[in-house]
Amino acid sequence: MNRMDSRVSKKHCGRLTSDARSLPVTNATHDSIISRRQLLQQAGGGAGSLALAALMAGESRAARPFHAPQNTHFKPRAKRVIWLFMHGGPSHVDLFDPKKALDEYAGKPVPDSFGAVMTRRDVARNPLMPAVKPYKKFGESGLPVSTMLPEIGSCADDLCVIRSMHGDSVNHPQSVYQMNTGSILTGRPSFGSWLAYGLGTENQNMPAFVVLPDPRGGIKGGPPAWGSGFLPAAYQGITIRPGEHPILDLKPQPGVKADEQLKTLKLIQDFNHIYARQQPHDDELEARIASYELAFRMQTEAPELVDISEETDATHKMYGLHQPHTSDFGRRCLLARRMIERGVRFVQVYSGDTGGWDAHRHVINNHGQNCRETDLPVAGLLRDLKQRGLLEDTLVIWGGEFGRMPMSEQGNGRDHNPWGFCSWLAGAGVQGGRAIGATDDIGLRAAVDKVPVKNFHATILHLMGIDHNQLTYYHNGLEKRLTGPSDAELVEEVING
Amino acid sequence: MLVLTLVASTLFVGQQSLGQENSSELFKTDVLPILKAKCAKCHNADAQKGELNLTDANAILDGGESGAVISTDDPEASLLWEYIESGEMPPEKSPQLTQAEKDRIHQWIKSGAKTGAEANRQQELTQLDILPILQLRCTVCHGTRVKEGDLDLRSVESILAGGKSGPAFIAGNAKESLLLKRVHAGEMPPKQQLVRVSVKPVADSEIKLIVDWIASGAKTVEIKEDVANGKPDPLISDEDREFWSFVPPVKANIPTAKQSAKARNAVDYFVMAKLDELGLELSPEASRRTLIRRLYFDLLGLPPAPAEIAEFESDTRPDAYERLVEKLLASPEYGARWGGYWLDLAGYADSEGLQESDRFRPAAYRYRDYVISSFNRDKSYARFVMEQLAGDELADYTDPENVSQQVYENVIATGFMRMTIDGTFAGITGFVPDRLVVVGDLLQVYTSSMLGLTMKCAKCHTHKFDPIPQRDYYRLAAIFKGALDENDWLIPIREGSEPGQRDRFMTLAPTEERRAWQAEHDRIDSEISKLESDLESLRQATTNRLEKERLERLPETIRGDVATALATVDEKRSEIQKYLAEKFADTITLDPAKLAEVDEDFKKAEESTTNQIKSLNNSRPEELLVRALWDRGAPSPTYILKRGDYLTPGRPVGPGVPSILVPDNRPLKVQPGFEGSPGTGRRLALAKWMVEEDHPLTARVMVNRIWRYHFGQGIVRTLDDFGIAGARPTHQELLDWLAVEFMEHGWSIKHMHRLMLLSATYRQQSLIRDEHLDKDPENLYLARMSIRRLDAESLRDSLLSVSGLLKKEPFGKPDTVTRREDGLVTSNGQNGGWRRSIFVMKRRTEIPTILANFDRPRMSPNCIDRVTSTVAPQALQLLNNAQVKSWAESFAARVISEGGNTDAQRISYAYVLATSYQPVESELEITQQAIDKLRVAWKTDSPDMNDEELTAKVYTNLCHALFNSASFVYVD
Repeated sequence: MNRMDSRVSKKHCGRLTSDARSLPVTNATHDSIISRRQLLQQAGGGAGSLALAALMAGESRAARPFHAPQNTHFKPRAKRVIWLFMHGGPSHVDLFDPKKALDEYAGKPVPDSFGAVMTRRDVARNPLMPAVKPYKKFGESGLPVSTMLPEIGSCADDLCVIRSMHGDSVNHPQSVYQMNTGSILTGRPSFGSWLAYGLGTENQNMPAFVVLPDPRGGIKGGPPAWGSGFLPAAYQGITIRPGEHPILDLKPQPGVKADEQLKTLKLIQDFNHIYARQQPHDDELEARIASYELAFRMQTEAPELVDISEETDATHKMYGLHQPHTSDFGRRCLLARRMIERGVRFVQVYSGDTGGWDAHRHVINNHGQNCRETDLPVAGLLRDLKQRGLLEDTLVIWGGEFGRMPMSEQGNGRDHNPWGFCSWLAGAGVQGGRAIGATDDIGLRAAVDKVPVKNFHATILHLMGIDHNQLTYYHNGLEKRLTGPSDAELVEEVING
Repeated sequence: MLVLTLVASTLFVGQQSLGQENSSELFKTDVLPILKAKCAKCHNADAQKGELNLTDANAILDGGESGAVISTDDPEASLLWEYIESGEMPPEKSPQLTQAEKDRIHQWIKSGAKTGAEANRQQELTQLDILPILQLRCTVCHGTRVKEGDLDLRSVESILAGGKSGPAFIAGNAKESLLLKRVHAGEMPPKQQLVRVSVKPVADSEIKLIVDWIASGAKTVEIKEDVANGKPDPLISDEDREFWSFVPPVKANIPTAKQSAKARNAVDYFVMAKLDELGLELSPEASRRTLIRRLYFDLLGLPPAPAEIAEFESDTRPDAYERLVEKLLASPEYGARWGGYWLDLAGYADSEGLQESDRFRPAAYRYRDYVISSFNRDKSYARFVMEQLAGDELADYTDPENVSQQVYENVIATGFMRMTIDGTFAGITGFVPDRLVVVGDLLQVYTSSMLGLTMKCAKCHTHKFDPIPQRDYYRLAAIFKGALDENDWLIPIREGSEPGQRDRFMTLAPTEERRAWQAEHDRIDSEISKLESDLESLRQATTNRLEKERLERLPETIRGDVATALATVDEKRSEIQKYLAEKFADTITLDPAKLAEVDEDFKKAEESTTNQIKSLNNSRPEELLVRALWDRGAPSPTYILKRGDYLTPGRPVGPGVPSILVPDNRPLKVQPGFEGSPGTGRRLALAKWMVEEDHPLTARVMVNRIWRYHFGQGIVRTLDDFGIAGARPTHQELLDWLAVEFMEHGWSIKHMHRLMLLSATYRQQSLIRDEHLDKDPENLYLARMSIRRLDAESLRDSLLSVSGLLKKEPFGKPDTVTRREDGLVTSNGQNGGWRRSIFVMKRRTEIPTILANFDRPRMSPNCIDRVTSTVAPQALQLLNNAQVKSWAESFAARVISEGGNTDAQRISYAYVLATSYQPVESELEITQQAIDKLRVAWKTDSPDMNDEELTAKVYTNLCHALFNSASFVYVD
């Protein structure tokens, strides 16, 4: 038995231990004893910590605002993250994990030596199916990538493919939750929320955690995937949509005149100031006043953020905005870049509507389509980040909630496979052009250097300068962690390779 | 249990190393004596602190609550050594290990950490190693409810007795044992059935254990469930028991205070005595307007109407304030406010909360209504606790024909235990570990709401701070097991023909309601049968008429003969009659069933009858379902789960409550609740214990909560944790005095309200002065009241109330919500109005945006205390949201029609409605200026607008601004 697993981690109970007290990442509601000032620190969250924190910083009484940038535990390699989430479960054996044995065993059932397989749709005894399209070796590294992804392939020397990812559920929602929150249950804080809580935002005028959903339909599992769980609501992912209404209730109702709004707002602020004068020492009231100023500023700033008309034609083309099949995902990739440029800490871009990459039938059609839609935009994003020097300290993550089975379903599809699949990382100094870990001969299970989701999370946090054991929040009698309660390990090869 | 260590050691057998004998020798001569000398005080066979016994080679291999303590394949990773090396063990105050002793232990570990007992592990297997496996994999079909093949695999006796095919095993002969034959053949457990009943196949390691046990003679030991026995508990020290919250509260003498003239009741003396120490004084009494606004929100969660404010202000009687408190306590809206607090604690939700479907819970609202009514009626808190923990065991509910209102409430109340997130409705999401999550959540809900201790830590290991051994967590789990048995599970959705067989619904209603329900069904039945018989009569009459008409179309000469022929039965017909019948049957005789095809009138009548029957059937009252929890008897054994893992069961425990709370360690007195009860009575025993007068926590915890809602923070600020890691009380004597007072006054919550609300402490102003900031910035000692932002529900309810759109229609099915494509969630109104937020559907995935923005959390599993955040989305919603805007329009219309004719009058009226205050001069002035400017702006923009429209526009702006003003959102 693994040493680290052989006992209960004491870290999640470390409420009274000295190390928990001296963390650089502090917990405002520690002990549930919340002073008014600490409460005030919760101000400024949500759709914008925005200028509030800056306003507050000028106040001698104010303690650290919730979204103020935080010191990391050690020097970070990545300052921000773009997570390209391929919803539905992209097939590792068809995209980034070539398996010769699948050609040999094509049409035959999984050899007995692989043992019993738990599948969702009872495909365990179905014939094995080789990759639906050939692979090609790309770049100087010769990293094999499916010919369905030629553009991403051309960036192969920047990719570090983890081929031994491992999840715990064969179902979509649970796996989406696990990949996003570390737990297969709903209602836990998402990775982005933890990051926003731990690191704050680089730009007080922007939220720390933004989600760009696929406009064609919600993901399986829904908004809890970017929820803040038991962390304060201020840390939940803010969904931003391209177009005129990027944020809920951002704009006055149609018909409301600018002048009318200004006058109303002036009246509101007058009211608020009068009330605050009656309670001269109350910080919360000042925070409230600031939140209104902020809200008003957002009305003009957020639309600018989503306005990509100022980008050059060359940039538009780079992301595929010139052709219909790539324009949607391309636009969102471009938005992701604009956001991290403006200091957003974590942007998650979803590919795939409610079905997405869920190729139970016709892998070739489903993945063909999804690859066509995302290949150029993803490559465009990597190239653009690189030419702007942003890739050095921006981490790009590509992956789904799980991979797919090596055997076929309904003749030409594949069922879910959480037991072994691929994700890749690029940027932030992660050595590219390589694949680490491995599945078994047929791509059924992670076989070499298995990377459970919690280890994946711990590793990304590490790249962000955070010790995952020290990023804690007290809730329901426990000091909770993203990677807890049992221990997680870093994927050293990612970090040091 | 041997499971883990045995697997490890069997692996090792094939690769015995040279050092092994030396290792076990070293263990016997050196290590065991050291362990006995330095560790046995706590880790002996009786005490087993941390579920660990270090005085016996076998027991050491068994490990403790965290699993194996020595690892034979990687000795350096042994937990035992880790604890010793880090200095954590032995504990500080105990005799320490010398360096020489540590060296010996390390040497032993390095040599392979052998105890010499490894080889004989197989001989040590008992039924305790086997029964949990059978329980997990087999008893769903061969156990409590079902005995397929007449086979019961729950005990050694029943296994030996066997089923239709004979005994399930033969001791000493694994090969011929039927049980193993079936398992080996892959017949059992049957693969096709597994997912349906949420069972996983038997693991190879488990099969090996069964084989080894049978082969080694199927040794059995006496099974003794660990329960409190009245002797001192070796795991709890006297020092542990001295902690303040573990000692029952007593009433201290009411202290004296410098400013005693200001005191109005006992509460004030306690508060002022502390303020004296700090050099602070109570603040002056607040104005009547402040007080009425404070009381309304505090007790009802709604703003006072202008007339109510005027009435209170003009009430010159000396007890005007007391009268107001009484009036509000008697208001039905009180329960909707205070019941809401309790629903947070219960984690109330109208949906299961798991997966994207987040399935709707059809009958949950009955529990919500029960809670509201209980608060309104000032039900004794003791009774309230008992009903919710053991309503099914308080009185006989099993005769559906005879259900009193009380019995009905008892059962509804158990809904408290059915509120957790629950995804076990499907086979694939209902495996034992999934069920254990539900059980864990329930324990969390119970301990955090009623008990005031954090027990969750003890699920996996001894509590790090409080004296709660892991044993106590599982004793508590055993209490609930009669009703919540992971091996005998009722699913959360209605399934099967009869409620309660596979699901957790009961058809139950008070006799009167049930009779009315039955009468309604009977009425519908009789109407339907009348409609049917009328139709039949019509059918007959029509058939006769039509046949007669057809007959009449025949030539008169044969008419009579044909009629006779057709009327005569076949056998008795003469040849001629046969001929006639054959020839004319088709033209004359009609098939009554197809009458509609030939007669238009009848067709219409038939259609109309069908429609009427359909609509009658649609109008039938629904099943009288109650989502409840009830003890079904015969619970499976409860084992301590090492590391909380269901695959590593330890020793069995019986029902019990946390030992730290029972000074004499007396056993829990468990008796069935009533004659003929199907249940065990375990929860009844728990419930009775909870409300014993020397219970150190129940009354304190509740009184502290009431205090928190009135004063902004608890006397103990950690509402759910009165343990060592929790906060200490700021006013322990006051808390204890109130707790005893609470019990002495029949656990009356309203009595507590009166004590707190009538105090001078409560009536203070909220103004913060310099000395407050200097001496008590967090206002822990209450030299002032704290201002508070409205919570989510009060805010929404106030918006509606002020706009004149609030419908005070309590109870019943929740109002639905809609999720818009852009993610906005809103409650759906009815006839232009909306009900209070507590009656809006509480779906975990669909919290109305306005409630979520203002900090209404998702219940996971419950909510102990709300936080208050101040974030931009709140401002955006109140400023820009279409619904809020439309409510502002209604508010404005109300101001214009009710508020008088001048701007000054209307402004004042709008102010009083929204903030309870008259505008101060500066407010009046800036508001008048704003109105003037807005008028000009509107007029410039839309010159054609008539005066009426103009006024509506301008006042909508004003009212909208008031919705956004701090004095609307805050209570002083």
